[in-house]
Amino acid sequence: MSVRVQQAKDKRTTSASVRSRVDAYLDGTMVGKNPLRWYITGWRLGLIAVIGALIFPQVAGSQSLIVTAITIGIYVMLALGLNIVVGFAGLLDLGYVAFYVIGSYTAAVGSFGAIQLSNNQIVHIPIFPFWLLLALGAVLAGLFGALLGAPTLRLRGDYLAIVTLGFGEIVPTVFQNLPYFYGQLGISALPPGDINLPTGTISFSNPLDYSPFYYLTLALVVLITVVVILLRDSSVGRAWVAIREDETAAAASGVNLVRTKLLAFGLGATIGGVGGALNAAFTTSITPLDFNFIISITILIMIVLGGLGSVPGVIVGAILLRFFDVYLLGQINDWVHKFPLVANAGTPLHFLAAVDFNASKYLIYGVILVAMILLRPQGLIPNIRRKMELKGEGAAPESFSAVGIVEREEQGLSMGGAGSEDETLYEGAGSDAQRQEEGGE
Amino acid sequence: MSTPENMLELRGVSKSFGGLTAVDSVDLDVKRGQIFSIIGPNGAGKTTVFNLITGIYKPTAGDILLDGLSLSTLTPDRVVKRGITRTFQNIRLFNNMTVLENVLVGLHTTLPGNLFSIVLHLPNYTRAERAAHERAIELLSFFGPSLVDRRDEYAANLSYAERRRVEIARALGAGPKLLLLDEPTAGMNDAETAEAVQYIQQLRTAFNLTILLIEHKLQVTMGISDRIAVLDYGRKIAEGSAAEIQQNEQVIEAYLGRKATVE
Repeated sequence: MSVRVQQAKDKRTTSASVRSRVDAYLDGTMVGKNPLRWYITGWRLGLIAVIGALIFPQVAGSQSLIVTAITIGIYVMLALGLNIVVGFAGLLDLGYVAFYVIGSYTAAVGSFGAIQLSNNQIVHIPIFPFWLLLALGAVLAGLFGALLGAPTLRLRGDYLAIVTLGFGEIVPTVFQNLPYFYGQLGISALPPGDINLPTGTISFSNPLDYSPFYYLTLALVVLITVVVILLRDSSVGRAWVAIREDETAAAASGVNLVRTKLLAFGLGATIGGVGGALNAAFTTSITPLDFNFIISITILIMIVLGGLGSVPGVIVGAILLRFFDVYLLGQINDWVHKFPLVANAGTPLHFLAAVDFNASKYLIYGVILVAMILLRPQGLIPNIRRKMELKGEGAAPESFSAVGIVEREEQGLSMGGAGSEDETLYEGAGSDAQRQEEGGE
Repeated sequence: MSTPENMLELRGVSKSFGGLTAVDSVDLDVKRGQIFSIIGPNGAGKTTVFNLITGIYKPTAGDILLDGLSLSTLTPDRVVKRGITRTFQNIRLFNNMTVLENVLVGLHTTLPGNLFSIVLHLPNYTRAERAAHERAIELLSFFGPSLVDRRDEYAANLSYAERRRVEIARALGAGPKLLLLDEPTAGMNDAETAEAVQYIQQLRTAFNLTILLIEHKLQVTMGISDRIAVLDYGRKIAEGSAAEIQQNEQVIEAYLGRKATVE
C-alpha cells in the first residue's frame, strides 16, 4: 500500500482511522512487519553462509580442516537442539548429552549388527543402512526426550537442572553397564554406505576425501536450522516464549503446558539424536566414556556464548567454540611453545613451555563463560528479547503500582502456607511465579 | 439445580492450604450476560476463587460448573477452551513479547495444533495464523488506535493503563463467553478508572460476555454490577444487588468494623 493511500485513510474519522490502520497492517502483512520479510533479509546472510560452506572443502586445502568442520557441524546441531529447550522454552537442561548418546548407540548397534548377551554370547541382529539409523536415532532420542521430560514438568529452574543433570549421568552409565553394548569397550559403527551414481561413486568412508561426509553434515545442519527457524516463528515458538516469560499466564491464555514443554524436550532431543547418529557414523567407534557431563556443559557454553534463543548466535557460538577446541587450541599451543621467549631456556616466559594449553581447555572455557556473563550476557548475536530482559528494560511498571502491598497480601493468602504448592502441577507453577514477583516488589 | 440462565455455578467450593481455609464452601450463581462482582476486604479469598474457576487451583471440596458441566478437574488451558479467560490482579503480560504477540498467545487455542502443519507452514496453519493476526488487531482496536499503532512495542514499555488493556485483549483472544477481571482498575487514577468502567460495559455488549469482576473500589462495583457477592474470611457473607449490599449490616461490619453501641 502506498504511503499516500494510507495518509488519506488516516484523515477520516476516528473509527475509520482505526479501521485504516488495521487495513494497512493487513495489507502490509506479506511485505511489512511480517516474518516473511525477515526471511528474505535474514536469509541473505544465511545464503552467503551456506555458499561459503559449500565451497569450503575446495579451498580448505587439508583434510584435517574438513574433519574439523564436520565435528563443528555436529556440535552446531547439538547447540541448535539444546537451544530449543533452554533458549526458547527456558527449561534449563544440563543432561542434553543423554540424547546424543542414544542417537550414537542407535546408529552404532544398528550398523554393527551384533549385541553381546551377559554370558558373552554374541547375537547377530539385522544390519540397517545408515539412513534408516539416522531416522531411528532421531525418533528414539525424541521419544526418550519426551519420556525424560515428563517427570520434570513440575520442576523449574535449579530443580529442573539437577534432575536433567541426573539423566545426563544415568544414560551413558546405562549403556556402559547393560550387557548388550560391550561395556567400556564400546561399539564400532559404520559410515554411510557408498552411493553409486551414473557419474561415479560417492564414498563416505574415504580417508583421503572427507568432503562427501562434510556435505552430508552441512545438509543436515541446514535442514535443522530451517526447521528450528520455522518452529521459532510459529505458534509453538510463541508458546515456548510465553511459558518462559510466565507459565501461569501462558496456561491461562490457553497454552497447554504439558504438551508445549514436552514438545520442546522431544524436539530438542530429536536433534540431539541426529547429531549422535552422525557422530557414530563419523567416528566409527563409540564408547560410553566419550559421553560425559562436560559435553552437556560445552553445548550450554556454546549457546550462552552465541546468545540464548538466537538461532544465528547459537550457530556462531558452536562454530567458534568447537573450532577453538579442535583446531585453534592446538595451534596456539604449538605457536606459544615455539615462541623464542618461551622455547629458549632462561627467557622470562620459559615457564610457559611446561604448560599444555590443550589440557587447560576447560579452564579457558570457564574464563570465556565468566567473561561473557560479565561483559556481554546477551551473547555475541543476541536474541532481541533476551537483550532487553538482561538490560532490565523488561522490568514491569507494576512494581511502582500503588496496590503492590494489597496484591502481596492477597497472594500471600492464595498461596497459603508451606506445602500447598505441590498439590497440583499448576499450583506449583503459579505459586513459584508469584514468589518471584513478590521478590521483585 | 442447573438452569439455562445460569452460566457459572459454584457449589460449596472450598479450598484450603494446609491448615488455612482460603475459600469456605462458597456458592455462586452467575447468570448469562451479568456483570457479577465479588468484593471483600483484603485476603477474603477473592483471587483464590478466580484461581479455582480457571483451574490454577483445584478445589478441596465442592464443584464448579460452566453451563452445567464440571470444570474442577480441568487444567487451565482446558478451562480456556471451555470459554473462560481471565486477567490478573498484578497484570501478567509477557513483558518481552510485543503487544501483538501477547494477544496472539491469547489466540493460541484458535490455531491448529498439528506439528506437521506448523513446521511446514501448511496452508491450514498459515491461514489460521493470518486470521489470528487479523483478530488480534481487531481486539486491540477495540481500545482505540493507540494500541494498534504500538502493536510492535514490547509489552514492558507500555503505560500501566495500556498494559491492563492489552491483558484484556489477550483474554478476549480465545473468544470467551465468561471473562474474569481481577481488579481491572487497580492502580488507576479517577479518570482512568472511569474510562475502564466504560469499556468494561462496552465489552459485555461488543463480545456478548458474562463478566465476573473482583473490585476494591466500591464506586466501580456499585455502578456497573448487576449482582454482588461479598466474601470475608473465605465465606460468602452476602449477595444481592448493589442497593441491598450497601444496606447489609454484615458487609458494613466487614469493611468498617462493628458499630459502637451506646448503652
